[in-house]
Amino acid sequence: MSTSGADHRAVADFLYREARLADEARYAEWLALWTDDGVYWMPATADPGADPERHLSHIYDNRARIETRVKLLQTGVRHSQEPASLMRRLISNIEVEAAPDGELVAGSNFILAELAVQAKRELHWWAGRATHRLRRVGGELRMSRKTVVLVNAAEPLPNLAFLI
Amino acid sequence: MIDYKHLVQDDRIHASLYTDPRVFGDEMERIFHRGWVFVGHASEVPRPGDYVTRTVGAEPVIMVRAGDGTISVLVNRCRHRGTMVCAADRGHARTLTCPYHGWTYDLRGELLGVPYPGGYADFDKGANGLPRAPRVSEYRGFVFASLAADGISLAEHLGPATRLIDRSCDLSPEGEIELTAGWVRHRCAANWKMLPENDSDGYHLGFVHMALFRTIQSQYRRVVGDERSIKAVVRDWGRGHIEIDWSPGYEGLFEWLGSASGSSVARFVAEIERRDGPEAAQRRFREGPAHALIFPNLFLGETNIAIVQPVSVEECVHWHTPMFWKGVPEWNGRLLRMAEAGMGPASFLMPDDLIIAGRNQQGLRARTSPWLLLGRGLSREIVDDDGRIVSHVTDETTNRGFWRHFRSVMTEA
Repeated sequence: MSTSGADHRAVADFLYREARLADEARYAEWLALWTDDGVYWMPATADPGADPERHLSHIYDNRARIETRVKLLQTGVRHSQEPASLMRRLISNIEVEAAPDGELVAGSNFILAELAVQAKRELHWWAGRATHRLRRVGGELRMSRKTVVLVNAAEPLPNLAFLI
Repeated sequence: MIDYKHLVQDDRIHASLYTDPRVFGDEMERIFHRGWVFVGHASEVPRPGDYVTRTVGAEPVIMVRAGDGTISVLVNRCRHRGTMVCAADRGHARTLTCPYHGWTYDLRGELLGVPYPGGYADFDKGANGLPRAPRVSEYRGFVFASLAADGISLAEHLGPATRLIDRSCDLSPEGEIELTAGWVRHRCAANWKMLPENDSDGYHLGFVHMALFRTIQSQYRRVVGDERSIKAVVRDWGRGHIEIDWSPGYEGLFEWLGSASGSSVARFVAEIERRDGPEAAQRRFREGPAHALIFPNLFLGETNIAIVQPVSVEECVHWHTPMFWKGVPEWNGRLLRMAEAGMGPASFLMPDDLIIAGRNQQGLRARTSPWLLLGRGLSREIVDDDGRIVSHVTDETTNRGFWRHFRSVMTEA
């Protein structure tokens, strides 16, 4: 289904805001972007045939586990993110479609620079494509599903304990 | 010559064991070339022609099943010009063909033919197969290889520690596990030995994993608290095989899963009771799968199987995959979610372990005080009726067991 220019702008604004909240470790505000039935998936392969019911994923969180992920970061003793990585990500190549149920499906590419300051102070580069399903809840867009496919999803990865 | 008897003492070890590239070189030769190393599981290559690529120490290898069903471990290097023959993590092939000049090998590594053979006056195909691990042996589907032609058998290497593998496999109604979910690989900026040491360290949980304990209830809650109230133990099985046994602290069944109930549990219990009788079945479900390191690189991580891959003196990779029990596929989804919670770069446990390992590696650059202390529990450990050394779960009995075997391997003639 087709989407309007206004939809596209609203989606882009949402994606930029979500990226900034994640970059700046604003965990509670990031969590508030989810619907109550949110699913956060990062497959461990870039193969489009990946199936989280049969294959191991990096992340396959239901809403309760998304909250656990955020609460860990909020304890102040999540050593892998203590202190939090310094991050900035670029979002581009945004494409928006409307799903039959009225949710918006947004694909976007990202590049993320992460300074992992917890041990060796290394700069890590992450890149991939994210797919967001966005639903209007009380007039605001919320994520009901976020899928992140890293270009190197199947390679050995360093810690990824921040919000991606 | 490095004096390992000096560097590895009964109650302390020297920092250079984690930082000296010469030590790493010796380890690749003595531990990973001459000794038995875990390569993969038979269920990863179920059909003839299935292969996976791995490393045995620094050596890139292909674990492949041939037409007669046997599994070979071939060095992933064409005999001709050294080209890597298989580039994929896994695949299926009728023959193994080098992409450079088309040299073609069968699934046991024998050279089938070379293009334009007229260029060789007197060519012995039989002497130019893919190099292969001369010794490959399996225990309950776990495939181990040694790159040396001579040495002790796998049975001698494992010794009584086969019981640890049994403990995990016997939870399957069919007595077999399957590794079919794929692997996640987690990079660690530390020496490889920190992973087996940390995997069998019962002292760090309440500190490294404090964030998790503050956030959710888990099966590990019984090992944080008053020292005297903790019932879990560590065991040194000899030959570097070391274990944490949480089960003395478990009161009910399935505590190692956090909790479990419902019809899938009832069927699971009934299947094992039918096979082993009610008493043994109850014990199996109370104890759960093993938490143990099979020297040097296989970690039986309760419901996960993990591999420790050395890369260089300051870098290694921790592999993991959930262990599926053949006969109860309805558990696979739960086991996948447990694996994602516990292990891997985005999980709730291992990122904290591996960042601490990275900080260990940084800290070990300080040479003012080069010794690491391993004496915890020396005054209270005991030897049990089976000859295993047993102590409080927070004791360094496991580290000492690892290093005692390390010293023996690094100094033997």
